[in-house]
Amino acid sequence: MPRLLLALLCLGCGFRADAEVDPALLALNCLSCHREASAPAADVPALAGLSASQIRQDLLDFKYLRKPATLMSRIAKGFSDEELRAVADYLAQR
Amino acid sequence: MCELSRRRFLQALAVGGAGSLAACAGLPRKKTGGRVVVVGGGFGGATAAKTLGSLDAGLNITLVEPKARYITCPGSNWLFAGLTDLLRLSVDYRTLTEYYGIDLVTDSVESIERERRQLRLTSGRMLAYDRLILSPGIAFNWDSIAGYTPEVAELFPHAWQAGPQTVLLARQLHAMRRGGVVLIVAPPDPYRCPPGPYERASMMACWLSRHNPRGKIIILDPKRGFSKQALFEAGWRRHYRYGEADGLIEWHSLADNPITQLDAQGRTVISDFGDRFSGDVINIIPAQTAATLAVAAGLTDAGGWCPVEPKTSRSLFDEFIHVIGDAAHFSPMPKSAFAANSEAKACAMAVIGLLREVEVPTPSWLNVCYSLITPEHGISVAGVYALDAAQSLVAVAGAGGLSSPAISGSAELEAGYARSVYRNLLKDSFG
Ligand SMILES: Cc1cc2nc3c(=O)[nH]c(=O)nc-3n(C[C@H](O)[C@H](O)[C@H](O)COP(=O)(O)OP(=O)(O)OC[C@H]3O[C@@H](n4cnc5c(N)ncnc54)[C@H](O)[C@@H]3O)c2cc1C
Ligand code: HEC
Repeated sequence: MPRLLLALLCLGCGFRADAEVDPALLALNCLSCHREASAPAADVPALAGLSASQIRQDLLDFKYLRKPATLMSRIAKGFSDEELRAVADYLAQR
Repeated sequence: MCELSRRRFLQALAVGGAGSLAACAGLPRKKTGGRVVVVGGGFGGATAAKTLGSLDAGLNITLVEPKARYITCPGSNWLFAGLTDLLRLSVDYRTLTEYYGIDLVTDSVESIERERRQLRLTSGRMLAYDRLILSPGIAFNWDSIAGYTPEVAELFPHAWQAGPQTVLLARQLHAMRRGGVVLIVAPPDPYRCPPGPYERASMMACWLSRHNPRGKIIILDPKRGFSKQALFEAGWRRHYRYGEADGLIEWHSLADNPITQLDAQGRTVISDFGDRFSGDVINIIPAQTAATLAVAAGLTDAGGWCPVEPKTSRSLFDEFIHVIGDAAHFSPMPKSAFAANSEAKACAMAVIGLLREVEVPTPSWLNVCYSLITPEHGISVAGVYALDAAQSLVAVAGAGGLSSPAISGSAELEAGYARSVYRNLLKDSFG
């Protein structure tokens, strides 16, 4: 299908433009919740110390419902695998 | 379920140690000249100033806020269940000034001289800007309910800007006669914190269930439905006998016949068609618009909110002014502290891009709003937002949505996450 038509069909129905989201900005949004955890069981887990591949694997597992989660699946489904990889790399390098 | 001890709750609420800088340590810290003034030290303004300060050490960043301490609306409903107090909901701006190089001006902006790109402060001081970020929050539409004025609101508090009114409303609830009635008059869309009135009813019911079990909360709503309705109603059924004759909460949609009048003497609210509802405690949450400053500066549309270009959050009426937070029209994102924080980050990136005259990165936004039904039952709604091909803001299809009760233990887990996310968001925004 021609690109323009695709773009028109997408209007207003929740389809994203194909530009990849900025990983640095996305990471800032993850860090609103993922800071230090003081009571490990009850708190949002901290990401510090996790490797890029661990974070990436967790995100893909959340996205494809291989890992149960109260919240993260609802977030991870909003991004392409490539975007999840990029944000995982970014967060691990921090 | 409302038996969680206050102490345990407070322990969970205490803010953790230092280390706020670490989160931003890896981001490129370049230097750009430029004067950025941020107006409003709430979740949007504080996050914008902090993000600018952590991304660009060369910027000249000023934050204008009249109050020395900010009291968060998030968490303020917990007061009704006796779980917290105003002191615990307060933050100051010390970390922003000490660690992020932000100049704090404790004053309020009287007017924006858009032509000259400068602000007139109440003290008479003038402040010039290259880029202005407004996050001034909301104002109330005092015409929406006859007889409900700012003065009357000191007796029948709205408590929709956390502070003394929140404490007053909690006192009224806690002192209510046995078997008394609380009326909550919910606002029409769009308004600050869509699940807020229903979390408030939950926390009030939590109090009543222990201290005044024959009392009742009646929500009178001008809407046909509300945020997280199915989750709230399921929770109310489970904990508060919702739907039964002696239930603690009743919800009435008055979409075709909304409340339009308050008879303060008679402690009665009156609907369009003249139906009367009397209460021992009356909490009216009026219709809302963007804050007065934004309206006076000509930055609002007919609906009363500031239309913006989502990618940069630039006002459609002034290319040097960015508007974020509750005052901005960022629909379909809700007006929440979490959303204001997310909007502020994208805005800060855009402001730096515009000042450096480089491409503004492709943003995405998140929103997650938790509510407590009891101290041990939490629920949430989430959304991922992005630009579509026409550069409009859309909720990404297939992502976001409501908590799934199918996840085992989710109610308890999410009650813990609600507190943890509150604490972390506060730290992320104010340092
Ligand atoms: C009961 C309740 C519960 C809530 N719970 C949650 C929740 O759990 N999670 C969530 O995400 N959100 C919640 N919210 C919503 C949240 O409080 C708002 O969305 C958030 O505060 C918006 O941030 P803001 O920066 O736009 O505005 P505000 O936080 O209102 O900040 C605006 C600031 O601007 C200042 N200001 C205004 N005019 C001027 C001027 N002329 N000059 C200088 N300064 C000015 C004000 O003093 C104020 O400090 C809740 C709201 C309520 C009422
Ligand atoms: C609103 C808060 C919130 C936001 C925002 C958020 N998370 Fe999470 N995250 C959670 C919670 C809660 C969990 C625990 C799993 C669950 O129940 O969803 C979690 C779990 C995780 C885990 C598993 C960690 C572990 O050790 O088990 C990873 C990895 C993760 N999140 C990454 C991210 C990334 C990357 C982002 C940004 C795209 C993000 N999160 C945004 C709340 C959040």
